[in-house]
Amino acid sequence: MKKTLLGILSLLFVVFSFSVWASAEPPVMHEQLVYSLTSFNGASFSKSFCPANEETIYFIADQENVISPRKTIVYYWPITRKYMAGFSTLNEEMAGKFEVLQGGKVISTLAKQTYTLYYPKGYWSEKASVYINDSAREYFQKYKAAVDQFNTRLKQYYESMTQYRENFNRFLEEVKKRREAGDNNPLNAPVPKEPQPPEFVEFYATELTEGFIIKLPVGEFEIRLRADDGTIIEGSERKVVVFASRRQGGTGYEIIPGNRWTKKENCDDPSWVIHAVGKNELYFNPYRQDEYNELYHNKLEDPQNVGSIERWKWIHIDPIDNIKVLLTHQQAILQAVDKEPYFVKQIQGAELGYEIIKYDDDLKQKGYKPTFESYKVILDENLPKTDYAISTVQAENAQPVPQSERTLRLLKKDKSLYLYAIPIFPLIVGVFMLLSRKSRMEK
Amino acid sequence: MARSGKITRILLKKDLLFALYSLGYYGVLFVSFFASSFILKSFLDGIREEDILVTAFPLNTYLSIIIIIISLYLVLVSAISISREKEQGTLETLSYGPVTPRSFLLAKFFKDFFIGIISLGFTAIYFYLVSSLTNIGFTPGLIKALVMGVFLVSCVVSFGLFISSFTGRVRSSIISLIAILGAFLVIQFTYNSLLGIEKEALSVPLFYIRQTLHYVFQGINWISPFAFISRGLDSVVLENWPLFFTNIVYCIVYSVIFIALSIGIMNRKGVKA
Repeated sequence: MKKTLLGILSLLFVVFSFSVWASAEPPVMHEQLVYSLTSFNGASFSKSFCPANEETIYFIADQENVISPRKTIVYYWPITRKYMAGFSTLNEEMAGKFEVLQGGKVISTLAKQTYTLYYPKGYWSEKASVYINDSAREYFQKYKAAVDQFNTRLKQYYESMTQYRENFNRFLEEVKKRREAGDNNPLNAPVPKEPQPPEFVEFYATELTEGFIIKLPVGEFEIRLRADDGTIIEGSERKVVVFASRRQGGTGYEIIPGNRWTKKENCDDPSWVIHAVGKNELYFNPYRQDEYNELYHNKLEDPQNVGSIERWKWIHIDPIDNIKVLLTHQQAILQAVDKEPYFVKQIQGAELGYEIIKYDDDLKQKGYKPTFESYKVILDENLPKTDYAISTVQAENAQPVPQSERTLRLLKKDKSLYLYAIPIFPLIVGVFMLLSRKSRMEK
Repeated sequence: MARSGKITRILLKKDLLFALYSLGYYGVLFVSFFASSFILKSFLDGIREEDILVTAFPLNTYLSIIIIIISLYLVLVSAISISREKEQGTLETLSYGPVTPRSFLLAKFFKDFFIGIISLGFTAIYFYLVSSLTNIGFTPGLIKALVMGVFLVSCVVSFGLFISSFTGRVRSSIISLIAILGAFLVIQFTYNSLLGIEKEALSVPLFYIRQTLHYVFQGINWISPFAFISRGLDSVVLENWPLFFTNIVYCIVYSVIFIALSIGIMNRKGVKA
């Protein structure tokens, strides 16, 4: 038996050694047909690609998505355990007609359409819409015209700036001359006014591109690409799973801790508890949210993502406005805060870091824009270390926003050393048991 | 049947009291709670001023640590429980009386199972004290995990008894247990390492080894009690009630199968070491 066990362990060791050796090999490049995807993720659009090894593509029901078959170079990246596409090396658009099948029958044949993604609040904003054909051209032209207009205004601004500098220098020379001449009377010449730079175009539209626009109801489908000669293009067949949200209209929070504004936390479910130490500045952003299956949604964002089919996740859809955020303790309102703009200011010098300050007129006049808008809740260090609640009410009538209440617990960190004392209690019980047995035996 | 039940109860009471009067058991609880406190303290120290932690299960990670340590203790105790009696000859002596392998094994199972439940009781008190001291939430998720723990304990104990049933000596039981659990770990580690390599980059033998390990790994997931612990505790965090109850059913079925197998093996192998 010992020999068998030793044999098994030796074999496993050899296998493991081989696996380590094999992982040191350089990546192998393959030319393959992939699907470039622009998928609606509940709030905006996610861009990804589906390599040949992924059999299924996921979409949200009744939403327009863009799918584009392309030939490219694909290689495996062991660090992320994902296939990567070398679109900069090879990015060949595949010709043909796109077929959608259900139960083995072709239910629609799609031709390529021109589309653009339109971001009403700029490229980095969270919301986007897809526009097709004439609407796409219209929105793209609108963006192009706005950019052209901006460039014209920018040119005018640079010219005005040159003029301003000249005028300002002349003004300074005039002041100098008068002072040198002994004239100490008030200067009646107007101070030249610095021109303001033009505001950049707020919205954004992507370049006009061609792709297959796919919009399907909940269900399972197959897709494939048929070449002009009527044959099915090899490697183009995939399954498509179209899903919908399980629950809609929940309230979720994005929380920005004052000490790390780039690393936001989400508190999306009423069962989630916010633990804090005290002496916190927390910036709350409430969102309306929908709940999706984690596996499906993760795979929608990137078909190579992993996830659990048993788990559900909330996706923030839209910010909730015209509300107040309340900090309460046993029904008593401690703070009721409104949404305000904030500015993240870099700290100068060796200290490094930043501070979040209220955006005011001074910053506005200097041409700065607010970094973010939020509801700021201050947790004072003298607050008793107990349980509080965060909730949201309508600003107009103070009606609570459904599912917006969250528990906030202030941790008693100063007593954490006593944690080492608690484990002793089973030993005390054990000693008591032994002593009681001993005394019983003696009796 | 009633007589067999009475014998089981007598053996259970004797063994349970013996276990509860041993300081080693309380030592294991101390070690598991201390390990949890140590990690929890480091974690709490890591939460600086202005920092936050958002979770529905703030104490479940520490509960997992405790359950794993207690399970290791229980699986070891169960694995030697029958072989020790065989080695000492107690089982042979008992077999001349009305004690059947079934009543003997059920007594051993319930003894270790109750030890596990008592440990979970201690764990609940420990977390209540931790929660009172630090104000970390004693959430419904923790209660759910403790309930799941009862069924996980039954898996661990039945697996230990199964190992003990086919070994005649304490030393063989311990070696078998370490070898089996070690093999599970090595297979899991090797399979995960091979998963990190692209399919096309694998040589033909390595590819087949990976495929084989895939099936072996799937099998281990239904044999190893620690895979059940992992799945059971995950089902709590997933907040999925059907999955939670499905895992409970799996644990019950697992325990019944392994106890039945152990009784069968004991009937075949007899009572001598």
